[in-house]
Amino acid sequence: MVDMEFTAWFGKIKLDSEGKIEDCDFFDKDPEKLAKLVVELEDDVQAVPLKRADLRDAALECGFVELDEEYDILLRDVCIRAAKSQISQTDTDDSRIIQAVQALDDIDKNVNELSERLFEWYGRYFPELDMTGEELARFVSAYGSRANVPEEHRLSEKASQSMGAELSFADEELLRAFANNICSLYDTRRYIENYINTSMGSVAPNLCNVTGASIGARLMSMAGSLQKLAAFPSSTVQVIGASRALFKHLRSKAPSPKHGIIFNNPVIKNAPWWQRGKLARALASKISLAARTDFYSGELSPSIKEALDRKLESIRRANPNPPKRELQTKPQGKGGKKTHRGKRKGGKR
Amino acid sequence: MSVKELHRGIYELDINDRKVLATKNIMPGLSVYGERLIKDDGIEYRQWDPSRSKLGAMVLKNFENPIEPDSTVLYLGAASGTTVSHVSDILTDGLVYAVEFSPRTMRDLIQLCDQRPNIIPILADANKPQSYAHIVEKADVIFQDVAQPNQSEIAAINSKYFLEEHGHLMLSIKSRSIDTVASPKKVFKEEVRKLESDFDIEFEVLQRKELDPFHEDHLGLVARMFVDDEE
Ligand SMILES: C[S@@+](CC[C@H](N)C(=O)[O-])C[C@H]1O[C@@H](n2cnc3c(N)ncnc32)[C@H](O)[C@@H]1O
Repeated sequence: MVDMEFTAWFGKIKLDSEGKIEDCDFFDKDPEKLAKLVVELEDDVQAVPLKRADLRDAALECGFVELDEEYDILLRDVCIRAAKSQISQTDTDDSRIIQAVQALDDIDKNVNELSERLFEWYGRYFPELDMTGEELARFVSAYGSRANVPEEHRLSEKASQSMGAELSFADEELLRAFANNICSLYDTRRYIENYINTSMGSVAPNLCNVTGASIGARLMSMAGSLQKLAAFPSSTVQVIGASRALFKHLRSKAPSPKHGIIFNNPVIKNAPWWQRGKLARALASKISLAARTDFYSGELSPSIKEALDRKLESIRRANPNPPKRELQTKPQGKGGKKTHRGKRKGGKR
Repeated sequence: MSVKELHRGIYELDINDRKVLATKNIMPGLSVYGERLIKDDGIEYRQWDPSRSKLGAMVLKNFENPIEPDSTVLYLGAASGTTVSHVSDILTDGLVYAVEFSPRTMRDLIQLCDQRPNIIPILADANKPQSYAHIVEKADVIFQDVAQPNQSEIAAINSKYFLEEHGHLMLSIKSRSIDTVASPKKVFKEEVRKLESDFDIEFEVLQRKELDPFHEDHLGLVARMFVDDEE
């Protein structure tokens, strides 16, 4: 009785409950095709029975190959092809990531503008609606006119009692189409983010490990390349992305920028203000090291992150309380104004 | 010059009273990573630097080496293939599956595989044996040098999927990858304990020794998978 099916590099094997071969269904003996399959199976991990016939035994027993040597030669050919194609796929260079980061910024700019338009436009018909951004776009795309908001929706009451204008059919169609476009921009945004996350893992594994894919990619993008980032002293790394804050400082006597985009790392963002400078310095120094390691060896070396964690911990322990002398009431680096689009600003720092 | 076979396929050359570890080059004329090629009596040897190879260090520290010329070896953490190339020399009638997860390093490893007939490259994460179970056959020996915090888990799951009954596990444990502050002795003890009792397969640790002076704070370990012969 067939109990388990398992796909090997040379074919599908059916196993009984003891792991013995019931049946074997070979693939073509075409190395190129087999290599493609090997890669697919690596990405799309199958459930593997622990009790299973040995692959080589299966291939010989079922007659996929006649001899051990034939098995070796074909398998080697297939795996070398597979590894080569994986490398050309996964080893995207930093410039592709940088393009993706910039595309992300373009989308943000556009999607924010479009969302604001939608907010104003749709607001004429449903001013009581308390949504913005993606949530608003999804809402409009789903319902259009207030009349379509279903009864069980938390806003159905507001919708039926709204003092907004009536939405004509033509306007409704238009607004929905407009909202659909915004939604698809948000989808693309997510798609690009995923792309950055995965490619950073192979292009800059240490940078990724130390400060996360998104900030790491942004640093590369602002530096211009991984090579340039690797060449920066860590004091520069610390203020990359701070130029806007710097101009603001020059114009309006705002506090001088202490941190660039690495400030967005939760390690610093969530720290009490008096620790931030020290934490940022420690982070920047490990980011530098990580970028260099990525550029020169490309191997993940977990010790960088470990050393960073230790350093951060010791900074926290050494500075548990705010310094007394400075009578500062306002935490640094935070403007007073808060708008409903605060998120967008944070993302662009 | 005199040649002594320390183990099948592994030699100690005595060159003017200097002892040199080496393997017989199965691809005469080709040096892999800049190591010296030494000819004697028509046979070419490749010098094997124990300070660049955990396995080389284990040999010099008198570990019982389970790798025989006809073994099937699963090598986890192959890097660019420094050690794998010597394993390939030893396996005149065997095969080594070389798993490495950094694409950058894999690039070098593939060049080695292109030169040699008995290395199968696999770009994969050793944490996920299912992702290469469609490629790897049962292995007589698993050699692991991954420098990861969860080294013993990686060894255990791979053994579970691929190690032949009574097969051998050779492990290089780097204490600093597991705990950067604790004393290496303590880390090693804990790792050995884990290996012996934390997993649903059992290992009998046959030998363990630190790999100094070749590698600081590294433990070498050879274990055999323990199987209940109930039937
Ligand atoms: C210390 S080096 C190995 C050196 C090699 N054994 C030699 O002697 O030539 C460790 C290697 O393991 C790889 N590695 C680390 N974690 C891994 C994992 N989970 N799966 C596969 N390879 C891994 C690293 O990329 C690195 O190349």
